[in-house]
Amino acid sequence: MNEPLIVLREVTKTFRTAAGGFTALADLNLRIGAREFVVVVGASGSGKSTLLHLLAGIDRPTRGEVQVCGTALHELPEHAVTAWRGRAVGIVFQFFQLLPTLTALENVMLPMDFCATWPLRERRDRALDLLERIGVADQADKLPSTLSGGQQQRVAVARALANAPGLLLADEPTGNLDSHSSSALLELFSTLVDAGQTVVMVTHERDAKRYASRTLVLADGRLEGAHA
Amino acid sequence: MPRRTTGRDGKAWALAPRWRKVGRDAWQHKPRTALVVLAIAIGILGAGTVLNTWSLLRRVTHGEYLASNPASATLRADSLDAALLARIQALPAVRDVQARRTVFGSARAQVGWRTAMLFAYDDFQAIRIGVVKPEAGAWPPPDGALVVEASSVEFSGTAIGDSLMVQLPDGAPRVFPVAGIARDVGLAPGWMEHVVYFFATPATLTQLGAPSSFDELQIVVANRSLDRDSVRRIAADVGDLVESTGREVTQVDVPVPGRHIHASQIDSLLFTQGAFGVLALLASGILVVNLIAAMLSGQVREIGVMKALGATSAQIAGMYLCLALLLGLVASAIALPVAALLGRMYAEFTADLLNFDIAGFTIPTPVILLQLAVGVLLPVAAAAIPVARGCRISVSEALRDFGIRAAAGGGNGRLLRCERLLPRPLLLSLRNAFRRRQRLALTLATLAMGGAVYIGALDLRASIRGSVDLHFDAQRFDMVLRFARTWPADSLEAAVASVPGVRQAEAWGAAPAALAESSGTWSNTFPVSAPPAGSVMFAPTFRSGRWPGAEDGNALVVNRRLLQDEPSLALGREVTLLIGGRTSRWKVIGVVDTGPATAAYTCRETLARVTSEGVVDRAMVASAVGGSAALLELVQRLRADLEGRGFIVKSSTLMQENRRVMEDHMLMVAGFLGVMGQLMIVVGGLGLASSMSLAVLERTREIGVLRAIGATHRAIVAMVQIEGLVIAVLGWAIALPLSIPMSAVLGVAFGRIMLPVQVTIFPELAAILQWLGVALIVSFAACAWPAFRATRITTAAALAYE
Repeated sequence: MNEPLIVLREVTKTFRTAAGGFTALADLNLRIGAREFVVVVGASGSGKSTLLHLLAGIDRPTRGEVQVCGTALHELPEHAVTAWRGRAVGIVFQFFQLLPTLTALENVMLPMDFCATWPLRERRDRALDLLERIGVADQADKLPSTLSGGQQQRVAVARALANAPGLLLADEPTGNLDSHSSSALLELFSTLVDAGQTVVMVTHERDAKRYASRTLVLADGRLEGAHA
Repeated sequence: MPRRTTGRDGKAWALAPRWRKVGRDAWQHKPRTALVVLAIAIGILGAGTVLNTWSLLRRVTHGEYLASNPASATLRADSLDAALLARIQALPAVRDVQARRTVFGSARAQVGWRTAMLFAYDDFQAIRIGVVKPEAGAWPPPDGALVVEASSVEFSGTAIGDSLMVQLPDGAPRVFPVAGIARDVGLAPGWMEHVVYFFATPATLTQLGAPSSFDELQIVVANRSLDRDSVRRIAADVGDLVESTGREVTQVDVPVPGRHIHASQIDSLLFTQGAFGVLALLASGILVVNLIAAMLSGQVREIGVMKALGATSAQIAGMYLCLALLLGLVASAIALPVAALLGRMYAEFTADLLNFDIAGFTIPTPVILLQLAVGVLLPVAAAAIPVARGCRISVSEALRDFGIRAAAGGGNGRLLRCERLLPRPLLLSLRNAFRRRQRLALTLATLAMGGAVYIGALDLRASIRGSVDLHFDAQRFDMVLRFARTWPADSLEAAVASVPGVRQAEAWGAAPAALAESSGTWSNTFPVSAPPAGSVMFAPTFRSGRWPGAEDGNALVVNRRLLQDEPSLALGREVTLLIGGRTSRWKVIGVVDTGPATAAYTCRETLARVTSEGVVDRAMVASAVGGSAALLELVQRLRADLEGRGFIVKSSTLMQENRRVMEDHMLMVAGFLGVMGQLMIVVGGLGLASSMSLAVLERTREIGVLRAIGATHRAIVAMVQIEGLVIAVLGWAIALPLSIPMSAVLGVAFGRIMLPVQVTIFPELAAILQWLGVALIVSFAACAWPAFRATRITTAAALAYE
């Protein structure tokens, strides 16, 4: 394994619900190296999305340590996590979550706008380059509602890459795509990893394992095993 | 601030994506955006109109009054000449002195005979104290012509070019043309005093049989910052000087320095209006809070996504606050010109009521800027709380799908107990009404505030009518005849009563009186009216005390307006009065409500004893006939018949006409308050409409489910309309207790401004029912569009809605 980009030590996450406490992750230990394509699989409620949220700094562990891209997230205050996330992590959601009133191009420019990672004059060009790289440059000026699911998810990937993050997190990115689009997306991730990107993907997609450098299986909040 | 970014060619500049999102979100939800703009615009319109009126009136009343160089004191004495004026001018405490002649008489205007007051100056172009401003036609008045004072124009129905018959007490009637209109801001409005003011040259007065010498001294003290008592002492010194020359000073008036005669009324009027403006602004602010909160609740997921992409809470808050700022700007652009126009119109009307002219006065720039600042900052301030709350939401919370929230419908314990009695669809509407409690509370607040003002205005209207009724019911006669000279009361009564058409006549005594102040000076004069003992024509409503009996001696009854001006005339107090040049001790034994002017009353016999005059100059006449035409005919007959027997009638006043003039002016003020109430109800209606629109939007999926299980168009419409109705009825009910303090405040304020009115403790039944009707209409109108929208939702689209 390369130098670890992600280190989780004894991580437990418990949610408080009306029915009482619910432990989504229990005593999890994990190390993921740079330029890995890690696929996390597991049944519904096994803790996959919770793991992803911890890695993105969206949730905080109830106990344990989460270190991503050299930053100890469990120690950072909320506003610092937000600033860190914008620059260090790109997120792809299951339902794409493109902002409906912005065009594809504008959606990709948005993270650069928030984080000011690129000079003003270069943002549009960079967004166009990313869309071109992902294969949807011809859709740049269209609103998300006029794009197919596959196209929307590609735009979402371009947006996730906008700030050149060290880590790309994908939460069931193929969950709303047909098989052809799913395969194309997985191919894309694979290409990105080959180009040096680290990807952690939560999925139900069986085929995903074919593209992964490692597969993690979660069951009841615990890691069952790791497969290369 | 929004930043721009370049295109690939480096030329095409465009807004950064987040600002585009702000603009497009607003554009995408056009009805909601329009509603927010409308709400802000109405708030600015209400408050701006009042503020503009306030600023104009304040400028005009204060500025124009002081600019007229008002007299510090006015003294009445006989045969004033230049030598005396020079001696007064030489007094160190006197800066300036001026003489004029003031003559009372009667004028036959379009609407009948009116009491007339004529002012003559030696040189109208050289008036230095109480400067008169020409408004139209000739100035100065030519010999043999009259210039009418502006505040008397409407009251007398006089216009330039009309010919008026004028008669002074000891002269023959003469006809003069009205050559112009001029305004004297120092005069109490003619409509209020029931007097027609004229300006005429000494030569014209001579034609009427009046002496050519002057009888009124107007002085300005050297030190304008002196208080009223100090000015009174200077006026007393001037009076002593005048009397040392053998002349008699019959009257001394010292107004509060620097304050117009109606300054306190103006202040009260402005305060009341200002309070309504603030309420309208508050109501629109609440509406904006509601709308922005709802807008944010529809954007929770997008906020989560933006945060996941690296947006900070401050950046997101900035976006929504910027949107609020933008909407405020648009609303201000719409509302400010209209508010300026309405404010000017209302200021013009009010200024005219108070005898000022706003022509030439502009709304001060800081006032316009203040409105702009409020218009822009109000939505930002209103949005701050919901924006802060919306931006605090964590990414995980925003992205997680909670389904139906636990807080949504719980807690209707009392409602649940009634469940078995109600049909399911009705129950659903009732429960829906209470789902968003904060939104419900804000919607109810705007509706109830509007309702409280509306009921308050209706209550005030009823109170005014009640007080005017009381005022005129107390005067059980149809007209007042004033005679050119005094007559023994018995012979005057007999002469008047003998004219066909007269049911009854009473001769009343009258005299001006001044109160001895604790400072050793005399108060301003006020009229003392004296009906005969056992009068059947005067039956005022006593606030306290009683009418004097034969055993009471010098007993005085004062009205509330006089008591407001002279608190030392409280019930039970013994005071010294100066009447007819003689001082006498009086005891206040009653307080009555008799209209907007200061007045005191005693028995005719008592007044005759004090003044040693057994003669009177006026008669109150009760007619045996009814109707305006018959009364006018009776007036003509009385004048002709009495004059044939030597009883020259100086002026006649019909009570019916007095009532019309008084009601017209007073109800206009109540009408303004009513309009403010209606404006606030419109804001409340918009609040309800927005609330229901959002409720329908948020429940799109639920409505889809209802349709899937068989709910018809009618059932969906009924569900939305009943929900709105529940809120409207709640708003109606909450407004009822709120209207009690509102009515009380309005009653007290109006009492200070115009006429003491009975403060309403319980809302008028008619007002309650009228407000219920308005609330129901507002509810149906406000829910019509949301209900229609709800029926347009298809099951498939609703179930796919996220």
